[in-house]
Amino acid sequence: MSDLPDEAQLTAASLNFASCHLCLKLVHVDQHFCTRCGSTMHLRKTRSIERTLALLFTACVVYIPANILPIMITDQLGQPIESTIIGGVVLLINMDSIAIAAVIFFASVMIPVSKLAMMFYLCWSVHMGPPATVRQRTVLYRITEFIGKWSMIDVFVVAILVALINLSNLLVIRPGAAAVAFAGVVIISMLAAESFDPRLMWDQRENNNE
Amino acid sequence: MSDMKPSVSSGRKFSAIWILPLVTLIVGVSIVFNSIMTEGPTITVNFDTANGLEVGKTKVRLLNVDIGLVEEVALKKDMSGVTATIKLEREAQSLLREDTRFWVVRARVGAGGVSGLGTILGGGYIEMAPGIGPEGMRAFVGLEEPPLTPLDAPGLRLSLFSQRAGSITTGDAVLYRGYKVGRVESLVFDTEKKLARYDIFIDAPFHELVGSATRFWDASGISLKASAEGFEVHTGSLDTILLGGVAFASPPGLSAGDQVQNGEEFQLYKSYDSILKNPYRHGMYYVVSFQQSIRGLVSGAPVEYRGIKVGRVERILMKELTMQGMTAAGSAIPILIYIEPGRMSLPDSLDSISAFKQIVESGIENGLRATLQTGNLLTGKQLISFDFFPDEVPAELGTFEQYTLIPSVETGVGRLENQVRVFMDTLNALPLETIVVEANTVLGDVDTAVVSLTATLNSVNRLLDNNDSKALPGDLVATLAELRSALAGLTPESKIYQSLGASVGSLNSTLESLDDLLRKLSIKPNTLLFPATPEPDLIPEVRTR
Repeated sequence: MSDLPDEAQLTAASLNFASCHLCLKLVHVDQHFCTRCGSTMHLRKTRSIERTLALLFTACVVYIPANILPIMITDQLGQPIESTIIGGVVLLINMDSIAIAAVIFFASVMIPVSKLAMMFYLCWSVHMGPPATVRQRTVLYRITEFIGKWSMIDVFVVAILVALINLSNLLVIRPGAAAVAFAGVVIISMLAAESFDPRLMWDQRENNNE
Repeated sequence: MSDMKPSVSSGRKFSAIWILPLVTLIVGVSIVFNSIMTEGPTITVNFDTANGLEVGKTKVRLLNVDIGLVEEVALKKDMSGVTATIKLEREAQSLLREDTRFWVVRARVGAGGVSGLGTILGGGYIEMAPGIGPEGMRAFVGLEEPPLTPLDAPGLRLSLFSQRAGSITTGDAVLYRGYKVGRVESLVFDTEKKLARYDIFIDAPFHELVGSATRFWDASGISLKASAEGFEVHTGSLDTILLGGVAFASPPGLSAGDQVQNGEEFQLYKSYDSILKNPYRHGMYYVVSFQQSIRGLVSGAPVEYRGIKVGRVERILMKELTMQGMTAAGSAIPILIYIEPGRMSLPDSLDSISAFKQIVESGIENGLRATLQTGNLLTGKQLISFDFFPDEVPAELGTFEQYTLIPSVETGVGRLENQVRVFMDTLNALPLETIVVEANTVLGDVDTAVVSLTATLNSVNRLLDNNDSKALPGDLVATLAELRSALAGLTPESKIYQSLGASVGSLNSTLESLDDLLRKLSIKPNTLLFPATPEPDLIPEVRTR
């Protein structure tokens, strides 16, 4: 604690201070509880990578029924027509609504899949990745943060259609089992992103520099 | 620096969060496993077309309960139809039997009414009718038309054969005394028998009304009859007027007969009247042939046994005769007759037919023969009659084509005509003309004899005028004078001679006219019985509007 490191490498952790998870107060690591709000103190989120991975695996498992099962059931004159996510996209392409098909495809397939993939990559890179890719990882993390907001679009589409279209026997739209599964995928992947401690990414480089 | 690090408790090796993916995996796997375990059977059904079949949409229903879904519709390899692969619920397993039937329900407007309207908007579906045969069937052939009656429905299935397909169609009613007791299930044309075949179904309590003697007839439309008593209109129910139907009953005076088995075949009569004319079901064909004119014998003419009607003339087998090349040979004309043993109070069954054949066979030995008789003297209608002629030459049953030939004798006018002709021919053969000529010659001789007698008497006269003769006693002279006067009466100018000449002349003319009559008779012998009124020639009429 005698001479301070140069500014670029100065971190709270290197000064043995940890940030409170709740009130963000910097408290010395010797303290087990926050001196301000009294919550438990950790230098980093406990078992962050492990939790994130567990949630990511869960999301992957739940993503399977989300794609296989019908997301929306259209009762047209008593004849139920079940449509899956991919089926809906193909149907829209066949109807020449390429734009809408693209939106649905991005929101329902591209975004969840890429988010899960990115999270997996981040978890892996924290441990094993080459330190040179730290900046790249930061960008990826920002992207995951950004697209996470949009991944619920499919669930919203179904929810709105179900609420809007209910012409008793003529045309009724009901949510399918996949809607629940898809919502689960989104929520679980959000939780995974939440449990991921981004500081771990940068810790690696800082440790190397030491 | 290491002592400055926060103490980190290692704790458990795995975080509790790993339970989450584990639970999801277990739940997911158990759902998949469950669905595989509860998966129903997959079957294939062949249809002619895929009309109304949509992959993933067309349901299979039993009593309008969804029990399956069409998963795939593929063309058959030979393009002769389509094969629908259907996934059924597990519960449907026991319904898949050998005779389980499938058909596509579409909107149909038929004689039986309008059905399947719901499928116009909602799309068709496949209806299933569970069978009663052994289980385990997985490949089926779908029906093109919905079956009208479930296979296991109690009742009776019969086939009706008709010469022509009338206005009866699938779904039409089967009526008993105007009450609907069944329906026509299908109409097909039997190319082998060349008859229209109706498959009918009679519902449970009513099938007992059908017996072996029951007759079926086409009850469609309206029958109108005009007679001396006025007009008579016969109709069935409004349904049958518009759509047609089949009615059945037992002919009057006949019992219903034995119980009928499923699938038995019956004839479908044109109308109720035609049943009254032909109330018997069983009969047999025979052939009789006549070596005489069969003028007046028409199809449908009665066949009688000593005046009791036992059958009818079916047709004259002229074609068969010509085909055999026997017309030119002057063979007897074969006539096909139809005999119904039921008319002779034998039971109307197949057994009676063989029994009747026995009767005919032994009858022939005792002189049973077919004859052609005039039924109506005014119209000249002929009929065929059977009777016993014990004096006839013995004959046996023969065959003509595939029929049995019953020997016949000529009787009636035909026989009489023949006898007259034989008599006339004998008469004609007599040398009447020579007799007359000879008589003429004889009379000529008499003439010359008389002339020579006159000359003799003249010479006697001259002798008497002689002196020698004058010398004869006066009474002799007187006697001679008397003799002369008597002889003078015999001259050609005398009355006696003239009346003899006239007699000979009238005999001549009588013989001539007899000659004429004989010629006529030999040409047309029946002029002896019937006045010779020549039949007017048929003049074709010009159709006028």
